[in-house]
Amino acid sequence: MRSIRSHLALSAPYESREPRTNTDPCKSVSPSVVSSVVAEFKRNLEAVDGHCIIARNKLEVEAAVTRITEGKRIASSDAPPSVQDLFNCDVGITWAQAGIAETGTLMLDSAAEQNRLVSLVPPVHIAILDASRIYATLGETLAMLQSGDEISPAITFITGPSRTADIELTLTVGVHGPQELHVIIIERN
Amino acid sequence: MNTETFSENAKAALQDVQLRGALRNATTLFGKRRSAAAASLSNWEELRSEARAIKDDVLLHLDRYLEEFVENAERRGAKFHWARDAAEANDIICQLTRERGARNVVKSKSMTTEEIHLNTALERAGLQVVETDLGEYIIQLAHETPSHIIAPAIHKTKRQVAELFTAELGMAPTDDVVKLTSIARATLRERFAAADIGISGVNFGIVETGTIVIVENEGNIRLTTSLPRTHIAVMGIEKLLPRFADLDVFLKLLPRSATGQASSTYQSFITGTKRKASDEGPDELHIVLLDNGRSRMLAHPVTRQSLACVRCGACLNACPVYQQIGGHAYGTVYPGPIGSVITPQLLGIEKTAQLPYASSLCGACREVCPVKIDIPRLLLHLRSEISSKQPSGRRAERFAFKLWALVMTRPWLYRLAAVTGRLFQRWFKPPLRAWTNGRDLRPLDRESFREQWRRTR
Repeated sequence: MRSIRSHLALSAPYESREPRTNTDPCKSVSPSVVSSVVAEFKRNLEAVDGHCIIARNKLEVEAAVTRITEGKRIASSDAPPSVQDLFNCDVGITWAQAGIAETGTLMLDSAAEQNRLVSLVPPVHIAILDASRIYATLGETLAMLQSGDEISPAITFITGPSRTADIELTLTVGVHGPQELHVIIIERN
Repeated sequence: MNTETFSENAKAALQDVQLRGALRNATTLFGKRRSAAAASLSNWEELRSEARAIKDDVLLHLDRYLEEFVENAERRGAKFHWARDAAEANDIICQLTRERGARNVVKSKSMTTEEIHLNTALERAGLQVVETDLGEYIIQLAHETPSHIIAPAIHKTKRQVAELFTAELGMAPTDDVVKLTSIARATLRERFAAADIGISGVNFGIVETGTIVIVENEGNIRLTTSLPRTHIAVMGIEKLLPRFADLDVFLKLLPRSATGQASSTYQSFITGTKRKASDEGPDELHIVLLDNGRSRMLAHPVTRQSLACVRCGACLNACPVYQQIGGHAYGTVYPGPIGSVITPQLLGIEKTAQLPYASSLCGACREVCPVKIDIPRLLLHLRSEISSKQPSGRRAERFAFKLWALVMTRPWLYRLAAVTGRLFQRWFKPPLRAWTNGRDLRPLDRESFREQWRRTR
């Protein structure tokens, strides 16, 4: 710290150290509940190799989950198994606490449920997202996070399945995280 | 390889056909993707200016922001360690591992830990360290160093990777990239399961909340920061952003500049430690704040902008020098234009005097830099520092430029020099072999521009 201060002091002849004024105070925003946001979310998620299913009620959600998980070992974020068992699961199911339409991104908040490993370790991740929690932009989502009372220890933004291009720049999906990402959006009329 | 032999390294790299092919593919592809991603946003230029203004503010008030950042993160359970240089940082981290009786360390990709050569220090302390980013894992197995900031194994072909995996992991030979990737996944899963400590870098530190933000595509950073009981994050002191909202600018610029993605696959926002024992995640979060020469750069506005760098690698892909020779020829952890600027300031110009000259000053790096760092100006600044520190070393060069100035400021002398030059070039070759070795010296035309002008006017 002493080194930082003394070197900053050296730069004094070049400019003043007036603090910068905040130009963009965060406004409180609410999610944009329009179907165009859902459509944009779906388009952008599919552009990064994610799958998107739109369900109108609980039954349709259950049907979609069953279709993907049939005959597979499931871990869910309400009652996650031990880490050892989780390594042997095929599918992890979590909620997503928010979505960002402009990039098809999910937001998972560790304060809401035990979602950190269930969304990461199994080769398939299913996330259920309420359409009313989809924000149009990254900016709106950040403003929502900032306006909350206390920020959670771990918030994760997820955009599509795990990927790498480290060998000859060949895109390969599912390197450390899930190979498949399914987002089920509940859109109530 | 080291930086003092840059010109020899560069020559060797130019002979390496396979390397040059790989570089051509990679830099062209990254360059194209970056331009397309930048063009997809209508306010790209405004974002760049805004990003730079945010960074300038952070750096000018770094003392105050650091104190605030530390206070906010400590309140939420993070522990801080200040490291003046690489040796101190390594000692701190080795001490933390010793106190916890740790044996297995998993690491996620971090240029800052490369900078301090952390793996060597940990291995010397008797620990098993494994790099978990696929590219870093490959070069760790090959005992090499990264050749690109964001694609560390860019210089290797899939066949070379396959041979490496066959020799080191006992894999059946294949050059299917998907199979190679899944073998790495399976091998590294075991290491994750056994790890006592996870070490990561940091992309951004958010002052108002004490949050660290780390971006990636593979998921190894999430595993590194979620599974082991202790998480150690190594961050340069310059990585701060004042507000959460500032991420709106940087999370748009960074992935687009690095890989051309609109968003990286995973962005982890870690704020202190878990609040309840039953929660997921590490019990402890230690943040090592590294100076290692950075505070020196604060002293002058020209050098200070080097600290605005977000390590996206865009300047490497755009650089005509990097495109030809790749990262290893620089002999440094940070290659390319930004490396030629940062390394001499971190290590001292005595040891790295060739690097600021490893550029044609074309300005392509400045054009693509998401935080508008004026790299050519910085290179000139460093060159002038070098030449003022070596008054005797470049006597011939000084003399030549004095002579040039003398001639160019006197029209009669210029005319005389041009006439004699044209007359004598038939019999006399100027002693410029050092310069003409890599370039052509075109003969002067029989008729000068002035003469042509007079004739055709």
